[in-house]
Order: sequence, then C-alpha cells, then structure tokens
Amino acid sequence: MSARKRAAALSRREFLKSGAAASAALGLAGAARFTPKVYGRARAARKMIVLGLDGLDPDLTRRWIDEGRLPAFAKLLRQGGDFRPLGTSLPPQTPVAWSNFITGMDPGGHAIFDFIHRDPATYIPVFSSTETTGAAKTVRIGGTIIPLSSGRVRSLRRGTTFWQALEEGGVRSTIFKMPTNYPPAETGQRTLAGMNTPDVKGSYGIFNYYTNEATSLVQEAGGGGRVHDVYVIGNRVEAELPGPTNTFKREAPETTIPFQVFIDPSHPAAKIVIQGNEFVLKEREWSGWIPVRFGLIPTQSVHGICLFYLKEVRPKFKLYISPVNIDPARPALPLSTPESYARELERRFGPFFTKGLPADTSALENGVLDEEEFLRLDDMVYEESMAMLEYELGRFDEGLLFYYFSNADQRQHMFWRLADPGHPAYDAKLAARFGQVIPGVYAEMDRALDLALGRADKDTVVLVMSDHGFSSFRRGFNLNTWLLREGYHRLQRPWRQEQSSLFDNTDWAKSRAYGVGLNSLYINERGREAEGIVAPGPDKDNLVREIARKLEALTDPLTGEHPVLKAFVAREAYRGANRDAGPDIVLGFNRGYRISWQSPLGGFPREIIEDNTQRWSGDHMTAPGVLPGIAFANRAFTAEAPALEDLTASVLGAFGVEKPGDMIGRNVLE
Amino acid sequence: MSVVNLVFGRVVDLVLLPFRGLPPWFGMTAVSLLTALLMLGVYKLTSNQAAIRRAKDRIKAHLLELRLYKDNMRVTLAAQGGMLRANLAYMGANLKPLAVMIVPLVLILAQLSLWFDRAPLRPGEETLVKAGLEAAADPVGLGLELETPPGLEITAPPVRIPDEREIVWRIRALAPGTGRLVLRGGGQAVEKSVTVGGQALTKVSALASRGSFWKRLLYPGEPPLPKESPVRSVEVLYPAKTLTAFGFRVHWLVAYLVLSVAFGFALKGAFKVEI
Repeated sequence: MSARKRAAALSRREFLKSGAAASAALGLAGAARFTPKVYGRARAARKMIVLGLDGLDPDLTRRWIDEGRLPAFAKLLRQGGDFRPLGTSLPPQTPVAWSNFITGMDPGGHAIFDFIHRDPATYIPVFSSTETTGAAKTVRIGGTIIPLSSGRVRSLRRGTTFWQALEEGGVRSTIFKMPTNYPPAETGQRTLAGMNTPDVKGSYGIFNYYTNEATSLVQEAGGGGRVHDVYVIGNRVEAELPGPTNTFKREAPETTIPFQVFIDPSHPAAKIVIQGNEFVLKEREWSGWIPVRFGLIPTQSVHGICLFYLKEVRPKFKLYISPVNIDPARPALPLSTPESYARELERRFGPFFTKGLPADTSALENGVLDEEEFLRLDDMVYEESMAMLEYELGRFDEGLLFYYFSNADQRQHMFWRLADPGHPAYDAKLAARFGQVIPGVYAEMDRALDLALGRADKDTVVLVMSDHGFSSFRRGFNLNTWLLREGYHRLQRPWRQEQSSLFDNTDWAKSRAYGVGLNSLYINERGREAEGIVAPGPDKDNLVREIARKLEALTDPLTGEHPVLKAFVAREAYRGANRDAGPDIVLGFNRGYRISWQSPLGGFPREIIEDNTQRWSGDHMTAPGVLPGIAFANRAFTAEAPALEDLTASVLGAFGVEKPGDMIGRNVLE
Repeated sequence: MSVVNLVFGRVVDLVLLPFRGLPPWFGMTAVSLLTALLMLGVYKLTSNQAAIRRAKDRIKAHLLELRLYKDNMRVTLAAQGGMLRANLAYMGANLKPLAVMIVPLVLILAQLSLWFDRAPLRPGEETLVKAGLEAAADPVGLGLELETPPGLEITAPPVRIPDEREIVWRIRALAPGTGRLVLRGGGQAVEKSVTVGGQALTKVSALASRGSFWKRLLYPGEPPLPKESPVRSVEVLYPAKTLTAFGFRVHWLVAYLVLSVAFGFALKGAFKVEI
C-alpha cells in the first residue's frame, strides 16, 4: 500500500470510529402519518407484484432481450407488456433513488441527498440515512453503566412511505428488503429491512480475516474488514472474533468470542470450535450459518450469525469470517415489522442474511476473497432470495408484494472491469473466466421475473424496476483537489496536502467551498457552516453559478472528455420543504467518471483526475439522464419517460389510493 | 448396569410406543403422568406421612400466629423460629422418600434423554462423528477409518487432533434409516448406531463409550465399547431436539419436571398422599 493510500485508510478508520457507535441503540423512528382517500373503485387492482432489481441497466437489458438471453422479460413484452427507461434520482445513488421511490418525492422532500452528508457544525462526514443516539440517562455502578432509558436508532428519511399510504387505504403489503428502510418505518404492514441494515457492530459490514501472511486492508466508510495476525502452533490456531462494543462498561470495550482452529497434520481440512459449536471445513469451503453470542453483562447479550470460509490451511493459514449479521431469531436491533416477521422467516428458512448488502465487496476489493469466492458468496445470497421469493409468492393472495434483489448491482460494481477492455483494471485472463458474470446476473434476475410471472394471474399487475443503470468507472475526479487548485479551498499547511483527511488541514477562514459525499459540493456559507465565510444571497448564488460553470467546462487531459457532464444547482433542481438541508451543487458525472476514492471524506490527493485501478469498477454517479433505470410492466405506460417517483404514484393508483399531497409523482400505468 | 438399562429402556420404549407418530408433547405428557403416579406411590410408601402432616400443620399454625400477633415482637420472632424448625422437620421427613425416588428418576431421565434430548439427522443434514482415543493412542499413526452404512456419506477428510486425542469426520445423511458406523484401525473395529429421519418421536443415542459407571448410567443407548480398543468413545453430534409451547422453546427436562410436579399435585388428593 502506498503512503498516500495508507493515509487515506487512516482517515477512513477515524471516520469509521466516529460512525460505528451505532451498535448500542434500539428503537424505531416514527413516521409522519396521514389519512389518504380511497377514490374510484374501492380496489382498482387486487394484486400487484413489484420486483426491485437494483442496478439493471436499460441498454443492457434491451440488448440481452434481443439476443434471447432474458426469456422472461421477452415473454412479458410479448404478452402485451411495456418497457421504458426509468428516470432516476439526482444523484443516482442507491439510497437516494430508493428514497425517491419509497416516498414519491425527490431529495428536496425526503432529505436523503447522498450516501454521506456532513455536519455543518464540524464539517465531519456523517451517514445520511440513520442517526443513532445512546441512552439519555445512565447510572454508573463501579465499572458498569446501567441505562435508564433505551437508545434510539432513527431513520433520517422524511415523508410517508407508500406502504404506509396503502395501509391507511386498507391495502395489505409485504415489503421485502426495501433499500434504506432501516430501521423499518413504523407500520402494521409486513416489512423486512434492506440496505443500510448494520451488522452486530453497527457498521455496514466488517469482515474478519485471520492469517499468518502479511496482509493490509484499505478500510471503507462504514464497513470494510480487519486483519488478525495469527500463529499456527502445533496445528492449532487460537483467535478471537470481535463483536459490538460493550456500552454497559465504562471504557466501552469491544466484545470478543475466542475460538480455536484444529488443522489436520496432512489433510487440507480443519475443525473449528466456537462457543461449543464444532464444525469441519475443507480448504476453500464455506460453513453454514454459525450462531454466536456476545455477552455484555450477565443478563444482556447480542446474538449474531456468521459464515466461515477456510481459504487455505498451508503453507499459509487463511480464514475469512463474514460480517456478523444480526441473528433474525433474536435481533438486537429492529429488523422487521411486525417484529415477529423476521423470526417467522428464520423458523421457515433458518438463519438468513440480514446485513443490508450481504455480498462482501470489501473482501473482493482487498483480495481477501477472489472473484470465484466472492461469486460463491453472492450465489448464496441469490439462492436465499429466490427461496424466500418463492415462499412469499406462494402465500401472496392480495395487496402488494415488493421484493428486492441486490445481486445485479453488486456484481456490476465489481466485475465491470472484466467486461470493459478500456478499464484501467482490465485483466484479459480474468476476463476470459469472469467476463460473462454481468450477463449471467441479468439472467438470474430474469429467473426471478419468471418465478413472479408464473404466480401472477391476469388481474395481477407486475412491475419490474431498477433504481439506476450502470457504466464503467474508469477515472476518478478529486473534487476537493480541484477546488484547491481553483482557489475555492485553502489548506493551513499546503505541503501536507496529501496527508489531509476529514478537512483536518483546511483553513476554513479562507475556504469558500468543499466537497463531501459522492456527488455533493457545499458552499462554506456564513450562518450555516460553523466557520462560514460566504454571505447567503447574491454572493453565494454567484459563487454557486461560477463553480458550476467551471466544473462543466473542465476537461480530462487524458481523454478530452468532460468528467462533469452537468453541475446541478440544488435549489433549482429540487422541490420540497427540505431542499435547503442538502448540498449546493450536485455533480452529474459523465459516463466513465465518478468521484475519486479519497475526495468524498475530505481528502486532497495530488491529481485532479486519476485512473481507477480498483476492482470496484462499475458505477452510476452520473447525471440522471445518462444512466436511467428500467421500468417493465404487464400494463402499458402512459408516459414516455416515467421517473422513480411516478412509479410510487402508480403503485398507489393501482389500488385506487390517493397519493399524499407532498408526493410529486404521477400515475403512469394504464 | 446393562440389565438395569435394558429393563428401564424397554419400559420407556413401551410407554412411548403409541406416541411415536404424534408431536413429542403427547409422549412427554404420558411419561410425566406415569412418573407422577410412580412418585406418588413411592412417596406414600417411603415417607412418614404423619410427620409431614404434623410439620405442615405447625407451619400453618405459626403463620396464623404471625398474623394475629403481628404487633408483638416477641411472639413474632418466636413464631418465625417455630416455622424454621417446622420447615427443617418437613425437609427431614422428605429426605428418605427423595433418596429412594432419585434412583428410578435418574434412570428414567437417562432413558428419556434418548427420546427427547437429540433429534435424528434429517436427509441432507451434515454433522460430525468424533472418536475419542486412549491417552497413549496417536490419531495420526493409528490409521483409524470410518465406514458408513448406506444412507450416509463422508464429506470431508478426517481431522486428526493429537493434542486432543481425537479424530473427527464430517458425514452427511442421504436417506432415512438406522445403521451402524464402523471404525476400523489396528486390526480392531468398534461400532456405533446412527439414525436418520424417523417419526416425530425417535430414539437417538448420541454416545457410545467404553465408559465408567456414570457414563453407562447417563448414556444407556448402546452397549459399551470393547475394552481392548484404542477408541474410548464415539459420538455423533445430533442436533438438539426442541419442544415449543406457545412459540417459546422449552427444554425437555423443564417440561418433564413441570408436568410431573403438576400431575403429582393434581393427583395427590385422589391418592391420599400428603406432600
């Protein structure tokens, strides 16, 4: 790892520390309620199935339908169905896009503008979707802290979810793993939390890797992994599995569970013993779900489940343990509404993936898992999703079923480099083996559609949607470095530019703008930011337009292309009561471009634009018009270019439920 | 020991015979009821019923005394002292019947554990077979091999752990049935039963051991392993069997004791037993 990357890794670790306190809290955020009217017939439709296929690209879908690789999609069209590219969100990030669909509003309404927001009081990046607070009052007895009230994890998304509106209209819904629905919005409907659901540590997923080979990892915001150096002594390894911090103790130490690995003297196999559970793994073999329990105090513990993968026993020892998912049988954090729904699924299927995005992209990114191993893990996710879809379809007799698949999004992020010979990380050998992963995952999504179509009668409305399309991520744009070069940002110690992280080197008294998150640029506004210097009003407006103009004029000297296709002035682009809470400029990148790895958390690498040589090689941070999602239905669309929020209105419209006043979409289904 | 296990085993088998196809609660209820009747009989025969009645009467009298003279500290303290003495007398009167009852109870519990503690393997399920070896035996040099009956397969190479004097195999159940695992090595062979599938209530023996008196008492499901073998024990790690009541998992031992006590108290009047 280069010094630069190491510095960036450190900064991310600090960021992780600040964000990972999410493990302690319990509680659900209340959602604003309203009473919608049911108009026309009491029920315009009796049944509706919505498949949410994250990241399916309209161009690729169309191409592979034409090539006969997606027979279920083709069948849907043949039987009178319709297809449209689906207008995505600004920016087309997963939490933003799905929030548009959930609420029928744009970010100005639902207030999720980016994966990462910033705290204007400190300029520190914070996660946009949830906020966790510890117990308000505690009593300390010796080294033990007794909370007198429960902690709280709160969704920061505003607005009414469409299933709450359906509930008020008397329409039953099952909402399966809707992204950003964590903690699950308060409702009597059956919902299971999706993307953003943390692991037991309160992070977006931290794997553990035990090895006696020198290994280093680049940490990511909110997730990543940890390497544990171990010794093999007498064919035996002693190690510990880290769990949540123990907030009942004064120093809040990290909980751990010791475990042992007994390696056979000559066979490529080992026995693993953890908390009384014993199992044998061969080399390159996955375990099933292993339950673990992290003790906090005698009456309190956190239950989790994890997968073990014995990568190698000799010459080097390599053991991967997946992020410890919350045990759905005994969840320490809210996973579903009603609470019994997660337990019901666990009784039916056994332990299952509960972490938001279960495929471990960090492990592949860091080379801890190779391509084949990552795909095996993602296959497990897919097989589980298909089994649960079949179960839900089997008992679906009225109302709405929304069902989500993450596989296409995750695989396109990680395997685009092997389908794009122009990508800096293209590898011809790997491409020969894994070049067909992306069409393969589209075919898997096709099988999910086939399953749904098989259970849909003629009166069932079937809608298939994705939140955005996909393209190659070849070049990364260092927004903060550009702001620095253009004189909009100043450092206190310019000679330490590349070591800066989380704006720890910024001279705020002379900085007029800064970038945080994946598409967001903020003006250092007086009265809003802690050390703001730009006066609100004409000064700020002129500065916003000046920066936007310069961003759009920027060219990549290597390709001659404009990295930023469109710099959107947020006040003009968004509607809704919360638009002032967001960034001032939203960057809409061109195909092939995205924000760099260091810039989103306040880093200042040397180059303004640099090659992306990482395995994370496909992305979707473009201007919305560049990478729309898909909308297929077994009904005709009445609009040429429907958008995500239109589908929200269409779902409500299908059941004759009036949309809440703050929803901006319109019904586009015939 | 083997004869006692055989007799108790047959009795419990016979009692549970009609309930094998039914949910486990039926068998558990029947066994608990019979246990309660047996224990009431033993208690009546072996206890000093007059002494028990006398001790309970004294406790009641002292309670009344406490209530009537609650403002008189001297009487209150004396009543509490009297209650303590009566309680000790009550417990003393229970020692003999308890000492007598504990013997059949332990034997019954050991037999019930074969039915209610572990569930048979399901087809497709994997588990471990663990062979524990003599202190002097070398798991690597011994060359011990596992043979599985039809309906089971070995799915991983054996893991030999010299420090623990243990060899572990992973097996997968393929089809329902019962059979015998055979471990061969050094010209000797030992056997252990294995069960896949079966009815709702199926007898499962987890451990075969050369074993001490206590092991043979607590794991009565199989004949002891031969003394001359380097294998001390063979264990199949069956999954735990679960009893659920109103959505809650209940350990079979808790269910058995609660039901037996409840039946005992419910029937003590009919059998004129003072408990």
